Amino acid sequence: MRIALAILFAALGFCVPLFASEFWVTLLTQIMIFGLLALSTDLLLGHTGLFSLCHAAFFAVSAYTVAILQVRYGFATASAAPLGILAGTALSLLFASAVRTRGVYFILITLAFGYIVWGVAYRWASFTGGDNGVTGVPFPALGPLRVTSATGYYFVVLGVVLIIAAAYRVLVTSPFGLTLRGIKSSESRMRSMGYNVTQHLYVAFVLSGLIASIAGVLYVYFNRFVNPTAGSFPVSVEAVLMAIVGGTGTIFGPFLGSGIILVLRNWVSGYFHYYTAVLGIVFIVTVLWAPQGIMGLIARWRSGTRGEGA
Amino acid sequence: MSPPAISVDRLAKAFGGLRAVDDVSLSVQAGERRVLIGPNGAGKTTLFHCIAGTLEATNGRVSLFGADITRLPEHRRAGLGMARTFQISNVCTDLTVMENVLLAMLGPDGRKWTMYRPASAFSDLRDRGTIVLSRVGLDGRADETVKFLSYGERRQLELALALASDPKVVLLDEPCAGLSPSERQRFSGLIRELPRDITLVMIEHDIDIALALADRVTVLHRGNIILDGTPDEVKRNDQVREVYFGRV
Repeated sequence: MRIALAILFAALGFCVPLFASEFWVTLLTQIMIFGLLALSTDLLLGHTGLFSLCHAAFFAVSAYTVAILQVRYGFATASAAPLGILAGTALSLLFASAVRTRGVYFILITLAFGYIVWGVAYRWASFTGGDNGVTGVPFPALGPLRVTSATGYYFVVLGVVLIIAAAYRVLVTSPFGLTLRGIKSSESRMRSMGYNVTQHLYVAFVLSGLIASIAGVLYVYFNRFVNPTAGSFPVSVEAVLMAIVGGTGTIFGPFLGSGIILVLRNWVSGYFHYYTAVLGIVFIVTVLWAPQGIMGLIARWRSGTRGEGA
Repeated sequence: MSPPAISVDRLAKAFGGLRAVDDVSLSVQAGERRVLIGPNGAGKTTLFHCIAGTLEATNGRVSLFGADITRLPEHRRAGLGMARTFQISNVCTDLTVMENVLLAMLGPDGRKWTMYRPASAFSDLRDRGTIVLSRVGLDGRADETVKFLSYGERRQLELALALASDPKVVLLDEPCAGLSPSERQRFSGLIRELPRDITLVMIEHDIDIALALADRVTVLHRGNIILDGTPDEVKRNDQVREVYFGRV
């Protein structure tokens, strides 16, 4: 049932460019990229119980790495993209030390980590281009295979996102994924059963950094330039909020949340100047009335109707 | 003679100025059933925490089968075959019963790092888990989420988690606490039937259960041992009566 639904969605995804305008194709691409970033934060929030505020850092570092390598040093996509992922993940190896702390201290440390990267991107102008960032990133190309349009890139992003989502699904159901949910539920119990909790959290953090880095690579080829905004605090916060609005601990939820927030931004901001206020209200409503997000509401509604039928 | 399963040597644990465990030495033989009794605040649970590694001892030594584990972190002690239950049920409430047991079995198993295969696909673990669950009387509850379990069922799951990893030593912190008298009877029967290749150290407030289960009883009072003897010796001892049962 679930798998059938997932395949249906994937098939639908591949058909979208047939009937949708370029505006929607581009918006959907953006939704998938930020959905992937939201998914990366949710490996920590939904599965492990850690609220990270530095994932824009991995996102931005991999985006900058790709941009600088391609634009300034003439690297091809085939080498620039993996190096971008490597750079972002390497940074997460360092930032993962935050898992020694918990609760509000974890949030504050990741917040500080995020600001360091943003500060460097912003101030080290000779290398990062400062406020202007790095422009002129070409479409990705793999040998003779060359993306030439927004629609073409949409398919690339869709393909990557589907592969990551499938791998993520296996990961969270694996013994390792189960361990993370165990830690979220009771750390002391897990320790008494022989788990070196810090080690598991560290690995989870790095895996989550890896996914954020992949999202960063997808982003830089989508945006065709990168500036410090990519690594800014709002990006980190929005990624987590997307996961919360859509539903933490699910795979579709973060993408759904990304869709809601980006559609609101693109659509509401056309009519209403204070769209961030609208976003704020959406978050407050979510936290108060649907803490499990939209996916949680759906699950509740489904179990409710099933209960009445029985 | 083989070394004792657990040996505690001049152990002390202080919280600031309070010496919860003052100076305790005891030794539990392999296969023994040892019960710790004593009034509230005697230091029983603190002693347990020091043996399990939840707390680090201020002074003294703890060994497991002759190996010094005093400075070993809790998870490493579990890896050496030590398992425990908690006084207040401490199970993963968001997971199913079987998932909890799987985690207990995976703790000392290198496969806990597997990332490419669903946990439910490890049929050997699932089979072992089913056996453990039926042993504690949770048959048919495997796929229930723990938060929907009754209080008594959670106590049963506590015990299942301690037994699932095939431990050599099990520390039971008031396993029957909060159960109804009939549940207590059933539960203590279950503990009595555990095989003798498991060493049991148990804290128990119910003196009848304690004396019925124990090979030896250790009586703690204000962080010190006041008696270490057989159930009969404990029953006859005047000091124990005075401290534990109140002045008659």
